[in-house]
Amino acid sequence: MTNGDVAKSPIDAKAEVRRAVASLAGKAPKTESTTSDLSIDEELNLHSIGWEPVELVSGVSLFSTPVGLWNWGEGEITSASEAHALAFKYAIGRIHREAADAGGHGVVGVHVERRVYSTHIEVSLLGTAVRPVGAKSVEPSNVFVSDLSARDFTLLMVAGWEPLGLATGASFVYAPRRSMGTVLQQQSQNVELKNYTDAMYSSRESAMERMQQVALELKGTGVVGVKVVEGPMSFAAHAVGFAAWGTVVRLVSDAHHFVRPTMVVSLNDSGVAFDAQSLQ
Amino acid sequence: MGESPPDLPEAAERRLAGGAFSSGLSVSDFGACLEMGFEPVGLVQGFCAMHQGSYAMGGALSRSLSPYGGSGSGYVQNYQCPHGMISNEHRMWGQNYEQTWVQDAWNQGFTSAYERMLEEAATLGAHGVVGVIDTQMPLGDVGVVEFHVRGTAVKVLDTPAPTSSPWTTYLAGQRLAKVFEAGYVPVSIVAAVSSVRVWAYCITEYLMEGFAGSMWSNATSSSSAVEIEQIVTAQTWSRQRVRSLARAQLHGDALHGADLRSSEREFEKGDLEIEAVLRGNRIRRFKDFDPLPVPQPTVRLS
Repeated sequence: MTNGDVAKSPIDAKAEVRRAVASLAGKAPKTESTTSDLSIDEELNLHSIGWEPVELVSGVSLFSTPVGLWNWGEGEITSASEAHALAFKYAIGRIHREAADAGGHGVVGVHVERRVYSTHIEVSLLGTAVRPVGAKSVEPSNVFVSDLSARDFTLLMVAGWEPLGLATGASFVYAPRRSMGTVLQQQSQNVELKNYTDAMYSSRESAMERMQQVALELKGTGVVGVKVVEGPMSFAAHAVGFAAWGTVVRLVSDAHHFVRPTMVVSLNDSGVAFDAQSLQ
Repeated sequence: MGESPPDLPEAAERRLAGGAFSSGLSVSDFGACLEMGFEPVGLVQGFCAMHQGSYAMGGALSRSLSPYGGSGSGYVQNYQCPHGMISNEHRMWGQNYEQTWVQDAWNQGFTSAYERMLEEAATLGAHGVVGVIDTQMPLGDVGVVEFHVRGTAVKVLDTPAPTSSPWTTYLAGQRLAKVFEAGYVPVSIVAAVSSVRVWAYCITEYLMEGFAGSMWSNATSSSSAVEIEQIVTAQTWSRQRVRSLARAQLHGDALHGADLRSSEREFEKGDLEIEAVLRGNRIRRFKDFDPLPVPQPTVRLS
């Protein structure tokens, strides 16, 4: 922590604005430009724990999958699972390289865009490379990529943990077609379609196991902020998919620091929480 | 941004001299504005409709006319068929190239609209323009794009009249107040665009059609998952290019709250136009960070 003290007196906002605007008449600074997609709140959060944004970074990948693989078969659709894993791996590798080249120690707030088509799988990542204020570059292998927001990153660090990287896992599985006899037999019944249920379970277990395997490879103790996308594929009625990704974390201090929340009543909530007319 | 053209309509001059102010601010942003010592003086706007000169370049006809259209200057990367086939059906060549004329048209349209907004703000004697919103809309399907830029011009109270062009920012209200409190001053909004055309060669076309793992995909491994290198290269380049164009406008300042959006338009299988637009606030540090409190986690009761 570098800025732990609360400012002693309230700031005269009008005087600060006049001073700021007057400074524009001077020359532009001779410092290195920085770019970031962080909000001012997020940037202040980062500064409060001694970190700063460096550069907006991105990584993309697009993997082809064989046509027709989605419709007929049994078990896992290995080509699609493999394409998904590789697309994430290459996109993460690219954003990681851009962050390391920019002198970042990590990337926070990574927006993950993932699209699965019948012929290809596309992954696009965008985030902000960050570092401790004024710090020099580190070994590229020590640069982390995280989809935690700058707020969550700050909270994580304050609690004594650190992010290690982005872990992903996905699996696509065939839901076997029922025989004609079974279809006719079940037509007038309320019956669970075990083929879909089993396919979803199979898909989920493989995907989660793969994600956790990545966490172990990164020497993490767990994955936080896991996002899940699951369900049948829109272009193939007999294929289901499950994909999960999140940030691998590890405890770096002796023990977890409990961050005690303070309760506040917000005065700028736009939502109507209580409608007096309902009492009439 | 370049010099502003003196093209403020006479009616706008009359309206702006009318007395009552107008503003695009919400009530809470308006309140924050007054708290910062700003006086809103008018809702200022700039418009420009631009026609892209080489609209037909994206069409299928161009492929048969020229194997290497290129852009004359800028990024170009060629791809050659490895199969040794000569056929009208087989794409023997491919190319990624920067569509400089699309970028130029976008820059001209955006800059004209932006400078027209600044001209209105200057007419009002404003120091800055807050809460800027910009939009770009296609006008039919004839290669015309309409650019709109608008915001609320403000004067800084108890300050001499401005001697330079007004500063601008996409921010308003509490967010803008926090920017000042954090030791930054807005300089200008920044917007940039990059446009790449992908003319797929045979490998890219086959991979996009789902022939990964076939003899046509030129796979070097036994895996049936193959990366589509030509498109990945174009996507990566367009994102890097738009960031470098935005960075060139910073001159040592910082780009804050950047918003990078990428879109694709497919003409035929693998034939794409990739466009990336980056917007953000150029801000400058005018003082060091005051000691900031460590953030306190809160639980809202409303």
